[in-house]
Amino acid sequence: MGLSFGTKAPPTALSGEVEVSGLGKKYGVIEVLKDVNLSMAEGEVVSVIGPSGAGKSTFLRCLNYLEKPSSGTIAIGGARVVAGEKLPDKTSLDHLRRVTGMVFQSFNLFPHLTVMENITLPQRKVLGSSREQAEEVANQLLRRVGLPEKAKAYPARLSGGQQQRIAIARALALSPKVMLFDEPTSALDPEIGLEVLAVMRDLADEGMTMLVVTHEMHFARDVSDRIMVMGNGGVLEIGPSQQVMSEPQNERTRQFLKAVLDR
Amino acid sequence: MDLLTQWLGWMPNLAPGLVISLQLTGLALLIGFPFGLLLAVMAEAKFLPFQWISFGFVEIGRGLPALVLLYLLYFSLPDAGITLTSLTTAIIALSWNTGAYASEYFRAGLAAVPLGQKEAAITSGLTGWTGFRIVILPQALRISTPPLAGLAVLVFQGSALAFVIAVPELMSKAFEIGSITFEYLSVYTLTAVIYGSLTLVFLGLVRLLELRLGRHLLRN
Repeated sequence: MGLSFGTKAPPTALSGEVEVSGLGKKYGVIEVLKDVNLSMAEGEVVSVIGPSGAGKSTFLRCLNYLEKPSSGTIAIGGARVVAGEKLPDKTSLDHLRRVTGMVFQSFNLFPHLTVMENITLPQRKVLGSSREQAEEVANQLLRRVGLPEKAKAYPARLSGGQQQRIAIARALALSPKVMLFDEPTSALDPEIGLEVLAVMRDLADEGMTMLVVTHEMHFARDVSDRIMVMGNGGVLEIGPSQQVMSEPQNERTRQFLKAVLDR
Repeated sequence: MDLLTQWLGWMPNLAPGLVISLQLTGLALLIGFPFGLLLAVMAEAKFLPFQWISFGFVEIGRGLPALVLLYLLYFSLPDAGITLTSLTTAIIALSWNTGAYASEYFRAGLAAVPLGQKEAAITSGLTGWTGFRIVILPQALRISTPPLAGLAVLVFQGSALAFVIAVPELMSKAFEIGSITFEYLSVYTLTAVIYGSLTLVFLGLVRLLELRLGRHLLRN
């Protein structure tokens, strides 16, 4: 597992792998996301932190349309979608979801399928891979997340940490350009969470573009290039990780960081 | 006369009836279950007319006693210029009845699959019908199977109602024997033993099926 923290070259700011502008989301009259903007370079890792109810997960889930945003534009890895009243056409929606990989807090592995099937079925159905091709990719990914011996197991036989590592492998199998993590360690006890964080750290070192909603402050500080702090549906501040952690500019950020770091 | 000898003597007459009962049950399930699944999916469809059609079939199929449904179809279809054999009519009525109840079990099964499964299917590119077929349906079916198997037993028992529209199934054969020999209690006891023992065997098979379907959830 990668031990290199903070040694990664700073990503070039020009490639614009992720360009989100003016993203808003309303439930009726309640505005849960307000004018969120984010621009990420290829290979960049951004952690999204902030208090509960800040809109972190909603923001992430809007990016692949698990939630329908009310306004704004989303451009990720060549896919571009303009939010509005109607759903975007199926082609752009599929494209957006093809370039993003998603890892959920509750893993959401398919319980009736083996680990191998969880990883190969999407490849076979979406990419049209043959069983052999798909299994080869799956075996590589299983080695990468450190679980090559679990191919034939059903998810219920695995620990939470193992399930989440398999879920990461499943998402990677479709070669997404950007990985979205929605509190990937929140359902795990702190010690088990470390094995998942180690896999994510490796992924970051390999140059994967990652957007991570998290409460893991060490991960946010040491692994991500920038931290975006959200509060009350908007972006409170965003900046280089060390800077946000040591000299937060926003009062609400200071309050939040004090609360998390003092516990 | 020795009871067993008497019963054995009736078996050649009862056996063809049992075969018809089993055929009727099998067909009612074979048609009724997929029909029920279709009704369940239509009930959840965004397209409103599908919901109305589903509602209509389900509420008539569940709202009327199977006996009433049998009579209604049997006596109304010829008026509409459709002449069917009594067996075919019984198959339609029981399939409808089965489908209406089964649709509720399918709906419950579909609703019990966690939302996260659908989301994971979507983000894995398994959208629409593919995701439904590969991710949602197998999990829903595992949940619906025990109650559906229970329903299958009820359909088998309910197939006896076809007797009233002269389908030569087990019950009507028993009645025939009774009306000739006047040994009503004896022949109906035998019929009860046949229905009861087949039901027990079937319930045993259901139990095995449940264990098999739940295998992937066992932790060790």
